[in-house]
Order: sequence, then C-alpha cells, then structure tokens
Amino acid sequence: MDKTIELNLNFPDTKTRWENFLINQGITDFSSREVDVLDHSIGLIDEDGHLVGTGSIAGKVLKYIAVSNDEAVHGARFNQIVSALQEYLFGQKIYHSFVFTKAKYSSSFAHLGFNELAHTDTAAFLESGTPSIQDFLAKMPRIKNQNQKEVAAIVMNANPFTLGHQKLVQLASSENDLVYVFVVATDASLFKTSERMDLVKKGTANFNNVVVVSGGDYLVSRSTFPAYFLKSPDELITTQTAIDALIFKNIIAPELTIKKRYLGTEPFSRTTNFYNQSLQKILSPTIEVKIVQRFRDNEKIITATNVRQLIKNSDLKDISTLVPPTTMNFINDNYQILQERIKKGMNIDGN
Amino acid sequence: MEIKTVGVAGTLESSDIQIMISAGQNGIEVDLDSEVAKSYGDQIKKVITETLNKFGITNAKVKATDKGALDCVIAARTLAAAQRATETTDQPRLEVLQ
Repeated sequence: MDKTIELNLNFPDTKTRWENFLINQGITDFSSREVDVLDHSIGLIDEDGHLVGTGSIAGKVLKYIAVSNDEAVHGARFNQIVSALQEYLFGQKIYHSFVFTKAKYSSSFAHLGFNELAHTDTAAFLESGTPSIQDFLAKMPRIKNQNQKEVAAIVMNANPFTLGHQKLVQLASSENDLVYVFVVATDASLFKTSERMDLVKKGTANFNNVVVVSGGDYLVSRSTFPAYFLKSPDELITTQTAIDALIFKNIIAPELTIKKRYLGTEPFSRTTNFYNQSLQKILSPTIEVKIVQRFRDNEKIITATNVRQLIKNSDLKDISTLVPPTTMNFINDNYQILQERIKKGMNIDGN
Repeated sequence: MEIKTVGVAGTLESSDIQIMISAGQNGIEVDLDSEVAKSYGDQIKKVITETLNKFGITNAKVKATDKGALDCVIAARTLAAAQRATETTDQPRLEVLQ
C-alpha cells in the first residue's frame, strides 16, 4: 500500500526530487509564479520508498497532480492523492475546490465528483464541493419575467470606481431592463474587495435597474483567471481568459438570461486587452459584446490606474476630475491608509 | 438537528464513499456520483437518507461520491459527516448505525 506524506518544498533535496518526478510525468513549469503560491504539497511513497505520486494545493486550487502509472490498480494512486489533498482542504474548512488540468484528464476528475465548468482544446477547469456554481447563481437577485427582458452584464475590478466605470454602467442602464455589475471578488488590489464593492454600490445607487453583485469564484477570480493578478506569458493568459469567457457564456449568462456584455476599451493593460479580445471571440454571436470607448475628461482617458498613481503621488485634487464624489469622499477619508498600503508594497500598476 | 457548517467524511478511494453535507431547505437532496448508480443508486440514496433521518436531520444537501462502498460504510460515513456538520462530534451517536 502506498503511503501519503507531506512534502516540504522548502528543503532543496525534496524540491529536486519532486521536480524530477514531475518532469518525468511531463510537467515542466516550475516558475516562481506557479510554485511560490503552493500552500501544501503531498507525496505518495511506495513500499520501496520511491515517490510514485504527488499533488499540491494553492488556496483552493489543486495543482501539480501527477502519478506514475506502473501501479497495480489503475487510478488508485490518483484517487489517493486527490483524497489526501481534499482532506487537507477540509481541515482548513475549505469545502470548495478547483482544478485546472489538461483536457484529456478532465474525465479522471469527473470520476471523483468534480464538475467540469469549461474546457478548451487543451485545458479544462473543474470544481468540486459546495457551494457550487449553481448555488452561486441561485442566490442572484432577479426581476419578474426576467427571461423576456433585456439583461446585460458588466464585470469590473473597480480599483477604485471611476467616472469611466460610472458612465459605462449608465450607458448599459439606459439600454437595458436589468444590468448585473459583477465586482471581482479576489482581494489582490489596492482597494480591498469590500471597499470596491461598496464604492460601486454607492456610485451606481442612482440607477434603479442596476444590481451590484460579487463575481465570486467565477468571474475574473484568482481561481479561474490567476494571470489577471500576476504578470504571465501570453499563452497562459489566452487559455485562462478563454475558460473565464466560456463559463460566462455556457453557465452564467443562460441561467441569468444575460444577452449583452459591456466592456470598456483598455488602452493600457495588456492582460485586459487580451481578455476583451477573447470575450469578443468566444461570446459573440450568442451574447452581444458591446465595446465602449473609454470615457475622457478633456483629452485625458479616465482609468483607475491613473487614480492609483495620483494617490501614490498625493495629487488629491486631480483625482476629483476622475472619480464620482462617493469615491472621492472615500479617498479623502482613507488616503493615509491607502498610501500606507502602497508603501507596504501593494502593486498599483497592475489591475 | 441544525446544520452549522459543512461536514465531510470518507475518501475517494476504492470501496469507500465521500459524503459532504451542507444546509438545505427541501428535504434530503442527494447528489450522487457513482459508477454503479444504475444498479445501486436508489439503495445508496436510501441508506444516506435513512441514516440522516435517524440522526435527526430532515433538510440537507448531500454530495456523495461513491467508489463502491458497502451499505455499512455508507451509513458510517454519513453519520460521521452529519456529526461534523452539526458540530456534535463530542457526542458520538453510534446507535444510529444499528
């Protein structure tokens, strides 16, 4: 019987052994972007002390899962690894997990109760446990006869909510019966998730057909789209944006009868630019994609990146031309806290 | 009995079953994954539902991933998950299994 053990990758010997095993199994990306985020790694040891399987956890995502296939009972090692990883997650009170895997392994995870949310030609994304995407969607606010109404969606990080965001919401509000504004739930930005959510709610309070909800794990989250939050190679961004777009198209939009998705053009962020292209390619024609030119203040393009830069440089008075009064009040009240976060190393050039 | 948290018991290994219990409103809803669901699906669901009812749970969402477990294993895993979900593991209710 194989035994599961904890692998401490901080030990160079253990790490080398782990890497060599994975390389033999065809996994070769050991960039710090991937490896540094691992919280826990386990190994499977056979009776002779050989490493015959491994798996890791990053947050609630299963990663680096591999088993050697010279085993007696087909699939037993794989099941043992996934069980052990889930047991670790349950111990952390995490009952909902995800896995990104090669498309050909999707069915192996499906046998263990994972539910496939999306797949491309090469990659698949699955979830397991509770609350599931159906639970997430069941909680969404709805209106009467929603399936006969014009329903649109906007996804934003709103770090922070600017006049540009407000005008985009205003446009969608004027053209539809109901607009879902999904706020990115991952807490990896200068403005915390609760603050971003609050500022979007306050900044859209005048539009009574707009509902502001969390994007949860499914819209540009650290689980579905980690590359949004970290500098990543093009190929990875393309795969992840495709998965994100497919989940929206195949699961979220049909359930909420969303027919349109509004996007702002993104002149400065390479990742967002990729994302917009990917959305356009995958969503249309099933879902109408409306790309709206960035709004300008005189000739200046309004972006949240710009606002963050001004906070860093203590240019408070220039910010007031870029954000609604609700966001301005928040910045005025919390400006020292925000500067403190930047000093502590919060990256403000990303998204 | 009130479900206070998510309760899990069991593994995904051969001859076992993994049971995950969370709060629900519409009776006992069992979402079962099993290679033998065609032949034994109803029986597996029956064992889970009866065990929960005996324990005192009448509303719950249950996600069960079966790997060929026998009825006694199904009942034992269900009870363990139920005790964890209701945070009552300090008072084992083994009589439920009889």
